Amino acid sequence: MDLLTAIVLLPLAGFLINGLFGARLGRGFVSAVGCGLPLLAFAAAVSCYLGLTGGDGAPLIATSYTWAVVGDHSFEIGFWFDRLSAVMTLIITGVGSLIHIYSTGYMKDDPGYARYFAYLNLFLFFMLLLVLGRSLLVCFVGWEGVGLASYLLIGFWFEDPEKARAGKKAFITNRVGDAGFLLGMFLLYHALGTLQFDGVQAAFAGGAPAALSADLVGILLFIGATGKSAQIPLHVWLPDAMAGPTPVSALIHAATMVTAGVYLVARLNGIYSHAPIASEVIAVIGVATALFAATVAVTQTDIKKVLAWSTISQLGYMFLALGVGAYGTAVFHLYTHAFFKACLFLGAGSVIHALSGEQDIRRMGGLARRIPVTFATFAIATAAIAGIPPLAGFFSKDEILWFAFASDRGGSPLLWAVGAATALLTAFYMFRLLWLTFLSPSRMSEEAAHHVHESPPSMTGVLVVLAVLSAVGGFVALPHFLAPLLPVPQVGAGLEDYETPLLVVSVVIALAGLAGAALLYGRGPARADALAARVPRLHRLLYGKYFVDELYDALITRPIKWVSSVVFLRGGDRWLIDGTLHGLAALAQLTAGVLSRVQAGGLQRYVLLAGIGVLACVAWVWRHV
Amino acid sequence: MTETLWLYAFSAAAVAGALVMLIARHPMRVAVALIGTMLSLAGIYAVLGVHVIAVFQVLIYVGAVMVFMVFVIMMLDTRDTSFVARYSHLLLPGLLVAALLAAALGAVLAHRIGVAPRWGAGGDFRLQPFSVAFLRDYWLQFELTSVLLVIAVVAAIAVIKGRGGRDG
Amino acid sequence: MDRTQFLLALSVALFCLGLLGVIVRRNALVMLMCMELMVNGVVLSLVAFAARGGGAAGAALVFLVFVVAAAEIAIAIPIVLLLVRQRRTLDIGAYADLRG
Repeated sequence: MDLLTAIVLLPLAGFLINGLFGARLGRGFVSAVGCGLPLLAFAAAVSCYLGLTGGDGAPLIATSYTWAVVGDHSFEIGFWFDRLSAVMTLIITGVGSLIHIYSTGYMKDDPGYARYFAYLNLFLFFMLLLVLGRSLLVCFVGWEGVGLASYLLIGFWFEDPEKARAGKKAFITNRVGDAGFLLGMFLLYHALGTLQFDGVQAAFAGGAPAALSADLVGILLFIGATGKSAQIPLHVWLPDAMAGPTPVSALIHAATMVTAGVYLVARLNGIYSHAPIASEVIAVIGVATALFAATVAVTQTDIKKVLAWSTISQLGYMFLALGVGAYGTAVFHLYTHAFFKACLFLGAGSVIHALSGEQDIRRMGGLARRIPVTFATFAIATAAIAGIPPLAGFFSKDEILWFAFASDRGGSPLLWAVGAATALLTAFYMFRLLWLTFLSPSRMSEEAAHHVHESPPSMTGVLVVLAVLSAVGGFVALPHFLAPLLPVPQVGAGLEDYETPLLVVSVVIALAGLAGAALLYGRGPARADALAARVPRLHRLLYGKYFVDELYDALITRPIKWVSSVVFLRGGDRWLIDGTLHGLAALAQLTAGVLSRVQAGGLQRYVLLAGIGVLACVAWVWRHV
Repeated sequence: MTETLWLYAFSAAAVAGALVMLIARHPMRVAVALIGTMLSLAGIYAVLGVHVIAVFQVLIYVGAVMVFMVFVIMMLDTRDTSFVARYSHLLLPGLLVAALLAAALGAVLAHRIGVAPRWGAGGDFRLQPFSVAFLRDYWLQFELTSVLLVIAVVAAIAVIKGRGGRDG
Repeated sequence: MDRTQFLLALSVALFCLGLLGVIVRRNALVMLMCMELMVNGVVLSLVAFAARGGGAAGAALVFLVFVVAAAEIAIAIPIVLLLVRQRRTLDIGAYADLRG
């Protein structure tokens, strides 16, 4: 068994062990297995990475298993480790392991401890299958699998019907996207005869093959990505997914699963390079989602929901980058985002833990002194996401904005302008969060204020590591590292001079957001509430998330329920099927009723009938003999 | 020939007896009519030369079966509703069916059996030769019928004696 | 028409008259007697064929039919007696319980 397959199978082993035996073997065992195996996988990933860079740069390939042979097509399960896979795998196993360690502290008192770690390991297994898969088929298996794991973990506390419903919503919304993914896969296979990534890349190396509409495939696969990565119009599941435990939100809905869509487009950059319409669609949807989500985040009052909308917004940035051909930059932002978003979510978890379950920021405040480590790490991560130099977020976000403006593959000032507006809003609402949670005067209830305590080292240690990574992670020249694989787009003619001015504008935007937030929220929400009271309709629109959920409910859910209830249940099932059965039974009864009148009990009547029968027999025999 | 005349006479008597059976009201008259028919049939058998059967017809059928029937008629009070209203409500359909059946069978007879050859000599139907042939060739059937008779005796006793469990 | 055909015609007549009697007469005992008439009709046809050339086989069969008829009447009469004991009438219309 080679190292590459081992990376994938170690978390699977963790799932099986904890799932089957965990409940009986106690917390310590579950923690050891649940955290140890992902750490081993991380070590294996580092080893593979060193092997990759130490050698000639050729990708590592491992073919495990021939899944199916249909005629003269065969489908294998194989793994592929090149630079892009290396980055993804290191993030997944690295940040993943950290979150596992954090969970040992956060989920300490939960009765479903073993089940939690089993599901978390299952998620890691599927996610690794997704990024290490050599063909779209293996990737799709992983894609579906992370959807499953996400459902299981969102609805972890399934006894609460709201939480269970959130899990269901996530799964079903994902499924809608997956329909597009499948169609794209079918088209690709039909035209090219292969689903392997290297095969697809090779087919597109010299321009789009004639048999295939690259735009159509690109859009279909992107539909799948909108489902998984929560872009418009399939973003509705992510805010509800906050019903799950906070480490789950950090791992799945910030650092890894939601980035699967970004990975997919980056991996298939061969297709998208030759699909200008699809790329434009991606860029427009990405930036629109970014702005849309940022406007909603400004009004939200649940600490996790703010971070959820922030995630949607940042994913929009990644897709903006992909849409203008800056694939490496998108992955760079994915990488930095994993650090600071995970840090933010885990920090939020720490706050919730400190306040014994409170999640409403209107009832927080004044925590900076009382939980200093959490505050410090949260502040660093907030600065990173806002784009304040020299933290990680600044580098990746600025590069995205630069290519949005200057790329010759669709960059335009309009895209830049929307992106910049979103950046301003991002800085604003993140610092709003910081102020309202930590720095403004306390609005906590007496009860909560009394019990505030710092989180255990298992949690704070991880926060510190992630904060450090958020700070210095930007200095790794990731796009350069990925350039052989993911080409850097050309800058449009005559636009090079704008680079420095735009850089300065980015910094100014970040600081403006900081100032605005401090001004408005420095003393608590009162001033902002007064402002909101002056534009009640706008505030209601934003707070209600533009009523997209309600729209879908009216347009899609209710009609489907109506059709199911009236057409299928009452019409098809009760009237047609039951009616036919009852009708047949009634017919049989009717016939029996009529025929049974023959046997009325009169003996002579029976003899008469027998006589008629004999007569008939004689007549028949005589005619035919 | 005289044989044919006797045949016609006995046949007429048999049919007359049958008609009386259908018309007479009192069961005793019906029984007497039946006895008459049976005796006519015995006569026919004798004319045909099947003496042994003729004798058995009189001995068994008239002598045992009809006597038993007469005995029961005398035992029961027969002046009930069936005395007043002789015929069931199926008179007309019954007439129709019986007539049709007779016509059908008669038509078959008229067509089929005309000039079919005889396949053997008449056979000796006096008592002694018949008995010898009977018990030599058909002894198994003979034994089986004795079993049947035993069963009939047992059944008759069971019917009469087991009236506690039977509700008619 | 030869002798056999005539006797068979007579046999058909007796059989059909007996069948008619079973269907139309209401008295249970008269019905039994009409059934006996039917049997006699059949026996006549057997004897006609035996006389024609069937030999001892026909006669033996007739003998066995007599035995069976005797056994049959030995059972039928007690059954009628039991029925009458219950319902106190010989009218067959009173016994209509064998219904479907």
